[in-house]
Amino acid sequence: MMGPIKIDPVRALEEALTTQRKLAAALQTLRNVDDVHFGVTDKEEVYREDKLVVYRFKGDKPPTAKVPILIVYALVNRPYMVDLQEDRSLVKNLLSRGEDVYLIDWGYPDRADRWLTLDDYINGYIARSVAAVAKRTGVKKINLLGICQGGAFSLCFAAMHPDKVKNLITMVTPVDFHTPENMLSSWTREMDVDLFVDTLGNVPADLMNQCYLMLKPIRLNQQKYIGLMDILDDKVELENFLRMEKWIFDSPDQAGEAFRQFIKDFYQGNKLVKGGLKIGTQEVHLGDITMPVLNVFAEQDHLVPPSASRVLGEHVGTKDYTQVAFRGGHIGIYVSGRAQREVPSAIHEWLAKRAS
Amino acid sequence: MADTPNPDWMNQWQALARQYANNWQNAAQSVPAASQAHSATPGFEQWSQLMARGPSSQGETIERLVGSAKSYAAYMQSLFATASANPQGSNLPWGNAFAQGFANPSTSSPLFEHPAARAWREMAAQGGPDFASFAASLQAPPTADLSELKTWLKLPTFGSSREQQEHYQKAAVAAVEYQEQMNRYNALMMKASQRGFELFEGKLAEREQPGRQVESLRALYDLWVDAAEEGYAEIALSIEFREVYGALVNAQMRVRSLSQHGIEHFCAEVGMPTRSEVNSIGERLQALRREVRARGDDSLAGEIAALREEFAAFKGKRKSAQRDAEAVERTPVAMPRKATVTGKRATKSKTEATKKVPVAAKADPSKKKATKQTAPTKRPRSATTKKAMRRNTAASAQAAAEAPTPGSRNFASRIAKFANASLGTSRARARQPEQRTKSRSAKAR
Repeated sequence: MMGPIKIDPVRALEEALTTQRKLAAALQTLRNVDDVHFGVTDKEEVYREDKLVVYRFKGDKPPTAKVPILIVYALVNRPYMVDLQEDRSLVKNLLSRGEDVYLIDWGYPDRADRWLTLDDYINGYIARSVAAVAKRTGVKKINLLGICQGGAFSLCFAAMHPDKVKNLITMVTPVDFHTPENMLSSWTREMDVDLFVDTLGNVPADLMNQCYLMLKPIRLNQQKYIGLMDILDDKVELENFLRMEKWIFDSPDQAGEAFRQFIKDFYQGNKLVKGGLKIGTQEVHLGDITMPVLNVFAEQDHLVPPSASRVLGEHVGTKDYTQVAFRGGHIGIYVSGRAQREVPSAIHEWLAKRAS
Repeated sequence: MADTPNPDWMNQWQALARQYANNWQNAAQSVPAASQAHSATPGFEQWSQLMARGPSSQGETIERLVGSAKSYAAYMQSLFATASANPQGSNLPWGNAFAQGFANPSTSSPLFEHPAARAWREMAAQGGPDFASFAASLQAPPTADLSELKTWLKLPTFGSSREQQEHYQKAAVAAVEYQEQMNRYNALMMKASQRGFELFEGKLAEREQPGRQVESLRALYDLWVDAAEEGYAEIALSIEFREVYGALVNAQMRVRSLSQHGIEHFCAEVGMPTRSEVNSIGERLQALRREVRARGDDSLAGEIAALREEFAAFKGKRKSAQRDAEAVERTPVAMPRKATVTGKRATKSKTEATKKVPVAAKADPSKKKATKQTAPTKRPRSATTKKAMRRNTAASAQAAAEAPTPGSRNFASRIAKFANASLGTSRARARQPEQRTKSRSAKAR
């Protein structure tokens, strides 16, 4: 019978010493590394309101698609994840396939934005951004691509304004917030969100980040940085790591009122599927979503479990529903090598079939 | 690794462990201001301090890397120490080695101080110095009987400063309750760590077969991380955790809220604006913005619809007026010269009017009246003024023709009146043939 551990002492010492050397080198390298940049695709501003800016991305060639795509990203992170770097860009890949891509950049809310509600975001900002893109491109309806929380917003918008959305694409979007694997949802259930928002006002980004890191505390707070020592001699890999690191911690504060309603109605009440969700004065029924829907989710998503996404097909009113399960995580769906090959193609091909 | 005791093996481990510890000490001494370090981790502190000097774009990443490396170094060190001290060969208590490694007091991230628990402390500190000092000042010693303390804090208050004293008591109770919830949370984190070790042992047991054994310190560490995360996830998804977590968040918010209340009270006393007041202004402003936008959207939509309706009616009446004008023009009665001249000019004037005059203004009866009144009632004195008057007359004639009023039926007679008033009938008659030609050529075009 053998023991489970077969560590050669000499090799172990060598490993420890190597770690030590790597760490010393790591600290020196990191000290001298310049700040990393992101957002590689050229873009132009087409609409601005308060802190929101709608950008149009410029491809190497004019778009062939007649209907533009407007990307609605989550409020909780910065949207440049979809255009992180040259070889990891959902935007770039969509442009190269002839799509006309726009994106809402929500900016960084401050205390002046504390009273923005979900109605202000969905029936205000998103509605006016959609109108601006539609006017600019001369179409009545546009394609909406909602990501994560932005996907939930897009579902609400499409349900309330089906006349303005030609095709709806949701990526890693939570729909049923009460599935058993949803750790974030479980944590919010006993929270007194009124006390929380009344006390904090806007919800600080650092607090949100801590919350996300606590989903996998040892992996995300410790193991990741031990792994960093292995890639320090690879400049490209190191920059990739740092770019991702920057994105993770570059989070905006959350407008208090919108946060209050999102936690109450979506996380605690699960009203998107249970019913009774009101945005402003209008009630949201997923059954009112009658345009074609493509739902892309990640099978190893620890933030939005696949079970939370895959139920969308049961609730929307459309008969043209497609879902794509991506083998990867919540972030990998934008930045992994497989994602670059699979996700933009899936979106483009699905849209092309519905272009007429 | 053999499953029988091996004295040679143990000797090697002991020697290597000593060598390893010495190496860390040497590394620690190689940086300025070396401390009297006896473990691996002081070296990290010094590196960290050294690296933090001078500008760096990656300061936060360095900080996180150093924090993690400290734990990892402690882990490696503890494995060596455990192996050196234990004569049982392959039956080494690896679980204990892990526990010792991560619970090393010289590391900032020991295992039992779970990262999640540490995160909560950091969150508490985010309230700023006021919150931190307030919470710290009210924090009871860990051994205190918190329920007894709370009873004392609920004693009735008296006197002129009764309200303030009540507030302090409430704040103190909230701080004690926060401490209680934090203790419950830490107990759960301990449970998660223990569950992680159970799973770790299970994972090790699965690797006893040749070819599946763990062959490096790093692989062992990664295996432990897998187990620890699984153990944590089991606890973190439990109903018990949900309740404890919610209670902890709520308790912290109550302390923060009462702390803010105290600060506001102070600010109000010294005449400074408070957060509540600024919030109130912000709320009203946002409500006002919504109202203005809603009104703007509604009234614009209504106005556009009304204008479209008016424009449709206007188009119909204009056609009718044009037909009337053409009918008058075709009659053999001699037309006043200027009235016909304006037929050509009117085309230009009409275009200008369409361009410049808002649709709403065109439809406004008061504006129509004003336009009519632009016709001069007195003879102009100079030639230039006359020219201007002629243009005015032309424009007025056109406006009259376009006006969707019953007056358009009397188009010709009104034109004649204006022309007579400004130019005189005799001159108009004298130029009549030329004008007719112009009119025809304009028509032909």
